[in-house]
Amino acid sequence: MEALSYFASSWIHPELLALTALGTFLGIYVGAIPGLSVTMAVSILISFTFSWDVNNALCLMVGIYMGGVYGGSRTAILLNIPGAPSAIATALDGYPMAQRGEAGQAIGLSTVMSVIGGFVGIIVLAVAAPTVSEFAIKFQPRDYLMLGLLGILLVGSLSGESLSKGIFAGALGILIGTVGLDPMTAEERFTFGVVELWNGINPVAVMIGMFGIAEALNQLHHLDKTAVKQKVDKIIPSWKDIKKYLPLSLQSSSIGVVVGSLPGTGGDIAALMAYDQAKRSTRNPEVPFGKGAREGLIAPEAANNAAVGGAYIPMLTLGIPGDAVTAVFIGALFIHGLNPGPMLLTEKPEMFWFTVGNLTLANIFVLIFGLTGIKLFTKIVEMPKGILIPLIFLLSIVGAYAINNSIADIWWMLGFGVLGYFMKLYGYQVGPVILGVILSRLIDENWRRAIMSERGEIDSLFVNLFASPLSVTLFCIICLVFISQTPIWTRWLKPRLIRS
Amino acid sequence: MKKFLATTLAALSLIAGQANAAEYPTKDIQGVIMWGAGGSTDTVMRSVTPHVEKLLGADVIMTNKTGGVGAIATKYVFTRKADGYTLLMGAENPQMYKVLGLAPIDYSDMIPISILARGTPIMVASNDAPYNNMQELIDYVKANPGKVKAGSTGQGGMASIVMSMLQSQVKLDTTTIPYDGDGPALTALQGGAIDIMPAVLGAAIEHVKAGRMKVIGLIDVDANPLLPNVTPITETLPGLKSMLPWGPFFGVFVKAGTPANIVSKLSDAFNAGAQTDDFKALMAQRGYTVMGISGDTAKTFLESYRSVSSWLVYDAGFAKQSPDKFGIKRPQ
Repeated sequence: MEALSYFASSWIHPELLALTALGTFLGIYVGAIPGLSVTMAVSILISFTFSWDVNNALCLMVGIYMGGVYGGSRTAILLNIPGAPSAIATALDGYPMAQRGEAGQAIGLSTVMSVIGGFVGIIVLAVAAPTVSEFAIKFQPRDYLMLGLLGILLVGSLSGESLSKGIFAGALGILIGTVGLDPMTAEERFTFGVVELWNGINPVAVMIGMFGIAEALNQLHHLDKTAVKQKVDKIIPSWKDIKKYLPLSLQSSSIGVVVGSLPGTGGDIAALMAYDQAKRSTRNPEVPFGKGAREGLIAPEAANNAAVGGAYIPMLTLGIPGDAVTAVFIGALFIHGLNPGPMLLTEKPEMFWFTVGNLTLANIFVLIFGLTGIKLFTKIVEMPKGILIPLIFLLSIVGAYAINNSIADIWWMLGFGVLGYFMKLYGYQVGPVILGVILSRLIDENWRRAIMSERGEIDSLFVNLFASPLSVTLFCIICLVFISQTPIWTRWLKPRLIRS
Repeated sequence: MKKFLATTLAALSLIAGQANAAEYPTKDIQGVIMWGAGGSTDTVMRSVTPHVEKLLGADVIMTNKTGGVGAIATKYVFTRKADGYTLLMGAENPQMYKVLGLAPIDYSDMIPISILARGTPIMVASNDAPYNNMQELIDYVKANPGKVKAGSTGQGGMASIVMSMLQSQVKLDTTTIPYDGDGPALTALQGGAIDIMPAVLGAAIEHVKAGRMKVIGLIDVDANPLLPNVTPITETLPGLKSMLPWGPFFGVFVKAGTPANIVSKLSDAFNAGAQTDDFKALMAQRGYTVMGISGDTAKTFLESYRSVSSWLVYDAGFAKQSPDKFGIKRPQ
């Protein structure tokens, strides 16, 4: 009963309700603008809301978080610029949908699926937080290494018609990711003595360039083509469609919650893994993946919003952030005089149900704000190229600068834009590149931590790997995914299995 | 005509410049935080600044400029004008830049506005570890060389310096595993990936209170009220007395050459901000010691930190340059 009153407190206090709504609304736009991240917005709000009551501040920030993660899909669908790395997979099929005149349906579908994903995350948080967090912190460096390797196998799903070109693009991404100070020894790698390169090349700059600018340049080939007339009826997905895609969105959401709850991985990796899983498990998509498959839009959108609830799990129960945004939340709680840590729920049990209730409320606002004004947004795709292309450039440049207030990022972004354009021209997909950039550090760090823990002995790494049930499970998943992509499976085993 | 205009404008801007120094601040001040959002430096700066804004009557716009162990932010502030409108909000890291070859500048090339607070290093261990204090840890490591996995935050980070301190007294064979910060390392400690971790008290205290890890050492000369049952390390290793107290700190700095009246105005505001009840309560709760010092006191403190740490990493063999080269004296 007490829990219920805490749960409902942000619903019944008009001020808290309004702040959550405002936060969600702002979050959708912060999330939609590439380079402006939720992490940044929330940390600016910390000093802004310093003198406020803690609940008011939290409502605004939770709204921004929930709205922001969803908002990343907007520009991904409309302009092929993912608003954040967690919307990369959304662009892969969302943008082709918009190009076919289905921008409205894509936004409608992504909104509903994001909200479903959001609810799954919240429910797991509410029901199983302590269990999940104890599971999440058990992940050893070798387990993160295997998650990274599992992620790299996604190249198979992202490489388009040629696997070898995909592998090349993925390797290029990994190489880009290794630039900067070595995370273990602080030794300079590919920095050529330039201090600005110490921090590496920002993945967001690579992403904005390779998706946004490369596509804008590509559009220059089709200046004479008039934009497809957008279908603006049936924007809100029908009940039948929701039911049809529900199993997929639940499956993707569970990937999202688990990957989101791990302290070392977040919504970006969750979304890509869910995309891969959807591609592999969908038998006969109406439209092939990469050309505007609805399944390819649903999976990442459900997963990245489910990761929000996931990221809260270790934060609320153990004071360990599940991602960058929850790390800032911990700072905010600290400034407001709370003790974020494993004792938080003992000292302030109301915090838990307040947050769960508030997340639920913000998720409902995502649905409301997400489904309004869609018709207006679809007009963006119908704009004449002479306006649209400069607009993409402007947005990309502002976004690249906003990442770290650095002019160098703008040059990186433009450079990768041009590179991405030529890659597309010659049949190389840009997806694997950005996948490599994102996973490079995860694999690099954890491989080395794993081998350092065994003092450089690879045999004891394997001995310990097979001694841990978690590691063995991950290892088997990797093997299965790998085999399922080889000719042995596709030519020989699969037909036999289907026949029997 | 053109020439006349140019001279007038130049003269005007000069006058305006002087007027600014007297009436400082006339515009928003930029605060450059060298660590990421949500980290301890970020939290300290964002909690003290609202008080400072009130006292200065101007907004302080804070941005996180991370990278290169803070060197990117340090170098950035160094490229700005010495007019008091760009503040470096940082931690102890720049004091190691010279010996580690990370940058040719450190805090001795800047003016300390205020050293806000300092942290106390402690040694934490996982609950099921068979040692409960530093002596038992030393004995265990000697009996089981290479068995104990120690977390670290990279060479030159606080954990590595604490380990070098121990090494300077007694040779220990541990396996070091670097993490991105003490937060991720403390998570790894709870998951069993590492066994011990030198961490700042503030970062570990909540986990310790909840019984998720245990404190086995206090790297200080005096006992700490938050850890009544832990004896200071100098009782086990008296040789460390010359190096302690030592610990990470948070401070605000401006480029050398900033007019003295601006420095004193900023120092007054930040020191007052550090003495507010809000800030003091916040720091006490996390086990940080509020300092709020500036001027020569701050310089002495900074120099002592630089000397102890530089020589430790040099003796441990991972310094790129000898501290002698920069005129850093060996601690007495």
